[in-house]
Amino acid sequence: MEHLFLLFVGAALVNNIVLSRFLGICPFMGVSKSTETAVGMSLSVAFVMTISSIISFLIDKYVLVPLSIEYLRTIVFILIIASLVQFVEMVIEKTLPELYSGLGIYLPLITTNCAVLGIALLNVQFKYSFIEMLIFSFGTAAGFGLALILFAGLRERIYYSTVPKYFQGMPIVFIMAGILSLAFMGFAGMVK
Amino acid sequence: MVKNIIKDGLYSNNAIFKQMLGLCPTLAVTTSAVNALGMGLATTAVLTGSNLVISLIARYIPKNVRIPAYIVIIACFVTIIDQMMKANFYSLHKVLGIFIPLIVVNCIVLGRAEAFASKNTPLYSLIDGLSVGIGFTIALFILGSFREIIGAGTFFNISVMLSSYNPLLIAVMPPGAFLFLGFLFAGKQFIDSRIKGEK
Amino acid sequence: MNSFFKSVFTITIITVSAGIMLALSYSFTKDKIAYQERQEILNAFKSILPYHNNEPDKDYEIINNQKVFVAKDNGTITGYAVNIINTQGYGGAISILTGTDSKGAVYGIAIIYHSETPGLGDKITNKSFLDLFQGFTVNDKIAVKKDGGTIEQFSGATISPRAVAAGVKDSLTVINGMIGK
Repeated sequence: MEHLFLLFVGAALVNNIVLSRFLGICPFMGVSKSTETAVGMSLSVAFVMTISSIISFLIDKYVLVPLSIEYLRTIVFILIIASLVQFVEMVIEKTLPELYSGLGIYLPLITTNCAVLGIALLNVQFKYSFIEMLIFSFGTAAGFGLALILFAGLRERIYYSTVPKYFQGMPIVFIMAGILSLAFMGFAGMVK
Repeated sequence: MVKNIIKDGLYSNNAIFKQMLGLCPTLAVTTSAVNALGMGLATTAVLTGSNLVISLIARYIPKNVRIPAYIVIIACFVTIIDQMMKANFYSLHKVLGIFIPLIVVNCIVLGRAEAFASKNTPLYSLIDGLSVGIGFTIALFILGSFREIIGAGTFFNISVMLSSYNPLLIAVMPPGAFLFLGFLFAGKQFIDSRIKGEK
Repeated sequence: MNSFFKSVFTITIITVSAGIMLALSYSFTKDKIAYQERQEILNAFKSILPYHNNEPDKDYEIINNQKVFVAKDNGTITGYAVNIINTQGYGGAISILTGTDSKGAVYGIAIIYHSETPGLGDKITNKSFLDLFQGFTVNDKIAVKKDGGTIEQFSGATISPRAVAAGVKDSLTVINGMIGK
């Protein structure tokens, strides 16, 4: 039990998927302009990430490995993710149209979110059990959401500040991300 | 036309500095010049291959399934490159880790397929793939070299700083990646405005 | 409906073609890849075991659920090796390969993988640190100076070397069990 809790904390904070593993940067930069879209995006990504992790884990364990066709892993995993995103897109369009237009192109772009494919691959690489995989994926999704929402808050603030001339726009955004990443490094050592 | 394609890919529409795509590997893999170069070249190989194949069969693919179709083709190239690297460049492959399969979700590759390869001839698409890829590789290499020299005091694993130099470790750690890239972007904006000012 | 079938058909063709390409590529590269993976393991053995001309990764016995690799020179045992994973590292698990001579004294150790902090804990991969373990036997106190041993810890990073020391100690205990048989 303690081990699972630490796994969750590790995935969400210590090895934060965005600030420390560098996965999921594109949506991180693109959707963090307002906290509302950030929340919507985090929930969509969390859903896709967790479900695709489960499906890809099962397919890898019960199909790819037994048949020794692990080299098909990349193709199979990305197809699972693409289909899932298509499905989520349809559901959100019907049920939450404002969110659908708020997320815009970033919703289908969850397919190319390195975080989603990355987690599916890491689950296999770290040789997790089913429960560990669930906790890891969920923890990662939580970490992604946390980083995204924090960052959106920061960006909303800086919009009203004076930024040095050549740093306006993307440069200052990256500097901010760097400082946030530095802050998250403080979590290292929490998981013993 | 060809000249423009090359110029765009390498500089004016540079994947990282202008379009800001492919950021995940940019931050993760540029801890050393060698890694940056390896990643850039692998991506270039995939980009060139997928651009070529996609431009050859784009007209036969129905519009509504074109994205999944492109992804499968790209994933195929990525896996082939992954296997070739594991067989011939084992230690580099180990260092780059999951970022090789992650080329499949590198927005640059899918972006070029959609924006260029699906609408142009195979020859132009091939050249575009090469140019954008090499432009990407150059950008990665610049960042990787900076981070390695400042963060580890070496370049291609050869010591280049005075022995009294205490490496600025943060350069090769996650925060450093963000900070360095931020400074490089600022630098580019500075250069761009100087060029515009002089014109 | 027609366009639906066309879409499905196209995707299926593309996926199947991709699958065939990959199967071909796999068959071309799998031997080379297996060779490389094995070389990596054999090279690690070469660095931590006395001279041997057998293949320790295939020559092993299982003691207490642990594989003990045996190094032999023309049939005579020259050393043993054990791969222990210590989970007490600062950043997580550290995989340590410990090689001993035929009497169970450490010949050399290697770190197979770790997640220690760059610049601090990752110094455990330095040769100067790894060499400190040479000569230890199962009866010696293998610990960092803070814990009463002789291993120099790095300032600001005690946990990493401590984990390695514990791993080596455990390895020697296993090997001792093998020799005792």
